[in-house]
Amino acid sequence: MLSRVADSLYWMSRYLERAEHTARLLAVKLETTAEQSREDAESAWVRVLAAVSEEHAPVTDSDVLAITQHIAFDQMNGTSLLSSVSFARDNARQVREQLTIEVWENLNRLYLKLRDLTAAEVSSPAMLFREILQDLHALEGVTYSTLSHGEGWYFLELGKHIERAQLICRLLDLHFGAARAGIAVEANYFDWLVLLKFCSAFEPYCKVYTATIQPEKIAEFLLFDAEFPHSVRFSVDRVCDALIHVAPGAPPGRRATVERLAGRLKASADFTQIEELMSGSIDRFLGDIAKQCEKIHDAVYAAYIAYGAETVL
Amino acid sequence: MSAAQSRPELVLSPQPGESPFAAYKLGAPYDEMFAADGTVRPHYAALAERLANLPPEELLRRQQACETSFLHQGITFTVYSDKQATERIFPADLFPRIVTASEWAKIEAGLTQRIAALNLFLKDIYTDGRVLKDGLIPRSMIYGSKHYRREMRGLPVPHDAYVNVCGSDLVRNESGEYVVLEDNLRVPSGVSYMLANRDVVRRAFPSLFRSQGVRPVDQYPRELLATLRALTPVREDVSIAVLTPGVFNSAYFEHAFLARQMGVELVEGRDLLVNDNVVYTRTTSGLKRIDVIYRRIDDDFVDPLIFRDDSALGVSGLFNAYRAGNVMIANALGTGVADDKAVYAYVPRLIRYYLSEEPILNNVETFLCREPKSLSYVLANLDKLVVKAVGESGGYGMLVGMHASKAEREAFAEMVKADPENYIAQPTIQLSTAPTFVDGRVEPRHVDLRPFILHADKTVIVPGALTRVALRRGSLVVNSSQGGGSKDTWVLSN
Repeated sequence: MLSRVADSLYWMSRYLERAEHTARLLAVKLETTAEQSREDAESAWVRVLAAVSEEHAPVTDSDVLAITQHIAFDQMNGTSLLSSVSFARDNARQVREQLTIEVWENLNRLYLKLRDLTAAEVSSPAMLFREILQDLHALEGVTYSTLSHGEGWYFLELGKHIERAQLICRLLDLHFGAARAGIAVEANYFDWLVLLKFCSAFEPYCKVYTATIQPEKIAEFLLFDAEFPHSVRFSVDRVCDALIHVAPGAPPGRRATVERLAGRLKASADFTQIEELMSGSIDRFLGDIAKQCEKIHDAVYAAYIAYGAETVL
Repeated sequence: MSAAQSRPELVLSPQPGESPFAAYKLGAPYDEMFAADGTVRPHYAALAERLANLPPEELLRRQQACETSFLHQGITFTVYSDKQATERIFPADLFPRIVTASEWAKIEAGLTQRIAALNLFLKDIYTDGRVLKDGLIPRSMIYGSKHYRREMRGLPVPHDAYVNVCGSDLVRNESGEYVVLEDNLRVPSGVSYMLANRDVVRRAFPSLFRSQGVRPVDQYPRELLATLRALTPVREDVSIAVLTPGVFNSAYFEHAFLARQMGVELVEGRDLLVNDNVVYTRTTSGLKRIDVIYRRIDDDFVDPLIFRDDSALGVSGLFNAYRAGNVMIANALGTGVADDKAVYAYVPRLIRYYLSEEPILNNVETFLCREPKSLSYVLANLDKLVVKAVGESGGYGMLVGMHASKAEREAFAEMVKADPENYIAQPTIQLSTAPTFVDGRVEPRHVDLRPFILHADKTVIVPGALTRVALRRGSLVVNSSQGGGSKDTWVLSN
């Protein structure tokens, strides 16, 4: 596979994962606002804003429309939902011939739908974001069922799960780690519930731990559950699996660094105990996982995508 | 801004029960569907009958469905204006244009003859130059052309096929004869629209389609692949790539489409590198050798070492790899010398010279101002002619006599007299009209015809073409940038 194509597929997938994350956060936030006190609703907005854009700013009730516009539809905001979908589409356009017509049309239609929307004109935003989530899930399904599960597909998997692992780490950091310090109000029962919903994890969590909401169990579930598709460990497994399948013809020498880093990340996700983390090291752990993901990204680029010709001739 | 090309509001809504052809007015030009006396030509009869019974709202609905489908598929080209790049669809008109079997037989024979002569001509001017020694064509016209590539002199080309993909523009004149307006021998585009139009029309009128005996065009990508394969002696594991300038090129959709349909790699210049005169692509698993490149970038940009050094689209060293015979490039470089306006005028003579045959398809009558007899005719008839400078394109250096003022004509005449070699003149041609859907009714619009010719070890013309249509009433300009659209073209099997 052309290195440039791998690059575009990888980024297309990362941006789509980011779009899905943003859409879900917005949908969940807007759906749950009604049940919260004004103060709680405002601090929850601070978390959402921080989770999708690294911005820490106090939010008041009157800002909600502007924030929704900013997070969802602002083309000038590089992390908005529209920007993510638009970047994904730009990447898809570059590798149009590698995708199936179904994949392209689903993505293109989603972009065309989003492009002309503004927060002020959307009558029921929560429903809209649910609908966009469905569109994104349909796109994922169409990708799974129409695209060959060859090297390109594994680059999509790689991008999706590297992004997902990092996004979950970021979200956990806002609830358990260092980033929590930026938020004035301590999380309450309702916030924990919302955290699970942010990761579409509420029902899967209950199946494992019953409806008893305990922060430690939530952290364990979202970090280490091996079967839940929005846990860090699950994503790490998918990353490692994808790395086995990409660049099948690359000589072992060029694969070595990538494989070593993947093995290390897998060990962190497989063998860390939640008890150790809850006693104070969770900040460091979350930061470490995110950093290891970045290193894998860099190593993949150095070995398969942006290598110098002189290194292989 | 919406990318959907919304059609103008319905100003004159057709009345319920009214025939969609009620407003169809025949003019002086040849009409594809109606004879001069208003009767329907036999090959359009079935279509006319079917459409006469279709309510106008239904026509509009199908037309809109077709446009939405193009937009969703991303069959768009990009228009750059101010800061914003807008994606627009190339409007497809659902009313097919029909070509009879006998008309097609003549077109096919004529284009096959034409490409044979043009390839012989290219070989000649890049090797012996017999045609120049014999004085058929002035040397200055060839060696002075900015599309003549000295680097190609003496270089062997597989099957002596310089032009592997050609798109020739044909128009029908007032008497109904197909004549050649232009040959595109460099990087002709539009074939993807031929295929996409077929797709949407087949979906819009499935039953009609079956009953008509329309010849298929879907084999084009396969034929193109076979043509490219025939260029290389490599037989096992031939590695072919389509070279595109990238996603910002207006024909990018077509490049991607063809690569996908042929099952070959779509590459940009930055994916390729040349080492020891061998061309490689950079893949995730390492470097991979490329044997044939179907390039969709102009000569000037192919290799910055040889041609334009400010080009970032091409590949350094590509030309040397080509010269060494390690990679084949289609079309060959330097083919543009044979499709400029002056050489065009000589094509009928070239056919006689190389093939000892009479041209099957005529040119549009062209006067070469370098020939004294023609010059005096042109100067005496400026008000009836279109005069063009040979080196220019896109409407520059052009006089449309019937629309120019007396002073403009006189000024232009002075320019022609000062440098007659640089000018040609042609009569204004009334392109034929074909029925076209406009706001739920059918109206006549001017059309041309661009078939695509493939040529390597043999010549293949897929029975179909891109029909471009000037969607503005009365307009003769079919270019996509100027309100042109396209139509599916049906070549009938009998």
